[in-house]
Amino acid sequence: MFNHRFFVLGLCLLGLPDWAQAAGHLFYFEAQGIAGYSSQLEKPIYYSMNPDAEMQKPSLGFDYLKRFSGESGDWGTFALQGRLALTVNGEEGANNFKLEPQIYNAYFKFKTPGPYVWVGHNRPAFGLSSYFDSHGLILRTLAIQGFGYDRDWGAGLYKDFSWGDLSASVTTGTGMPAYLKGNYMTAARVSYGVLSQNNFNIGFSLGYGDTLDTMGYKVRDPEPRRMALVGADLTILRNNFEHRFDLLAGDWLGNDTYALFYRIGMNLDPENKYKIEAQPTYWKFGNETNFQMSFCISSQVTSNLTVRLGYTYDRNLEDNRVMLQLYYYRPIL
Amino acid sequence: MMKNILLALLFFLTGYTAAFGSVGCDLNDPDRDVARLFPESTGYKTIYTSVVQKGGEKLLARIETRLGDKFHGLYETIDVPYTVYEIFANKKKIGYIHGVNQKGQFGGIQVFLVLDLDGRIKGFYIQKMTSQYAGKLREAKFGKPFIGLTLKDFEHYDVISGKASGKVEAIKNPAPEAEADFRAALRATKKNLILMDEFGFLPQSAPRPGGPQS
Repeated sequence: MFNHRFFVLGLCLLGLPDWAQAAGHLFYFEAQGIAGYSSQLEKPIYYSMNPDAEMQKPSLGFDYLKRFSGESGDWGTFALQGRLALTVNGEEGANNFKLEPQIYNAYFKFKTPGPYVWVGHNRPAFGLSSYFDSHGLILRTLAIQGFGYDRDWGAGLYKDFSWGDLSASVTTGTGMPAYLKGNYMTAARVSYGVLSQNNFNIGFSLGYGDTLDTMGYKVRDPEPRRMALVGADLTILRNNFEHRFDLLAGDWLGNDTYALFYRIGMNLDPENKYKIEAQPTYWKFGNETNFQMSFCISSQVTSNLTVRLGYTYDRNLEDNRVMLQLYYYRPIL
Repeated sequence: MMKNILLALLFFLTGYTAAFGSVGCDLNDPDRDVARLFPESTGYKTIYTSVVQKGGEKLLARIETRLGDKFHGLYETIDVPYTVYEIFANKKKIGYIHGVNQKGQFGGIQVFLVLDLDGRIKGFYIQKMTSQYAGKLREAKFGKPFIGLTLKDFEHYDVISGKASGKVEAIKNPAPEAEADFRAALRATKKNLILMDEFGFLPQSAPRPGGPQS
């Protein structure tokens, strides 16, 4: 289980590199404030999704990346991302407050003669979230919504080819916390198209294991449940439009499941400072079906500060939710 | 415990003051891209640098003078981090790959140059460009006239008017509908070469008063 001491230790370890030689690493300061209103709760909220979920909450954090090089080039990368998040939970009456340290990204990645191999807390090789970073965004991918894990503890590998890439992972199937109670998750993804060259990428994923039902650091069910999923995802970039699709089907947490998500984004200016997005999401989980519709307007006010205004309608909760996020991300030497 | 964490965080965040902007330009898949752009390479080393680190306002002013245009917008703040890939064949350094962000027609574009140790362009690569005409600007045919050119060839290219002379004049827009992106690609190339020179990676780089520090 995550221990607060590791968080402090991590901060101290980050101070070890020689700061005069900043050429081999990047260190970012991250801060965000988020506030909104939920029609279901009929009160202000201070999170984007759920008080137990890791994202998004008022928080202070860092993002650190260190490259290791030898005489003939880079051979490894260490990444660590941590936040001190404030949870304001008012779902059952008066607000209560809790500070929670989060390790959101912590891995060591190294080259082998074949693929790259990573060990730690990183993206499982399943679906859109295996390569699409949404750690600062308020719109939810399927993994953030709870169908999979945006990050998980374990190991993985990936290899890029001229036509696309292959990736695979073996993780604990827990997400933010690390538990071993007979739980595990295996995943593999193959994709065609190089987004930065072809402006599209289509991927197919398989996942199998027995995973835990978690939300953030909260374990909602200590019994591992069957996961057997297939997935497909697609990203298309064309002119100022971005299209992202993700779907999965099979068993998730022991329930017949399928989920479908589409996000369309439109960049409104030549520097991508202003963006509007819309996202319908539909899922069936056991006997439950649900539909969500979300919108987001983003404005990058400065090179460091982004303001996002989001709206989500949730059919089952009969909730109309608006959120305002100030997201600050600044590299520091 | 929470108090300790907050104190550690505050200490850590306030101990370092130099800062730079956040819109960097990395190769998306360095292993694949370096091998493709520099086939004789066996490895690469990633270096991060910025104008604010290397000389600050004076350096920025000199870069703008050499470019013939002001730096403006999110992609050209004084603190933008630049990523330079030093390319190796075994243990011998054989060149560089460096990319810059540039405002394009439908959003940012990313222009990478493959350079030998003499600062001569060995390859031209547009990474991010979402225009429907991006394919034409990514064709090898378009990149070919860039090969062999140096900063000297781009010194007389006017990034505001788009007026070119000499070898740069031979670079033709393959897609008339994408004139804005074509001009952006040329401006990015000139900017890229100037930055590499001012950061001290090109052989003609010479120490200047208030210039880049090693």
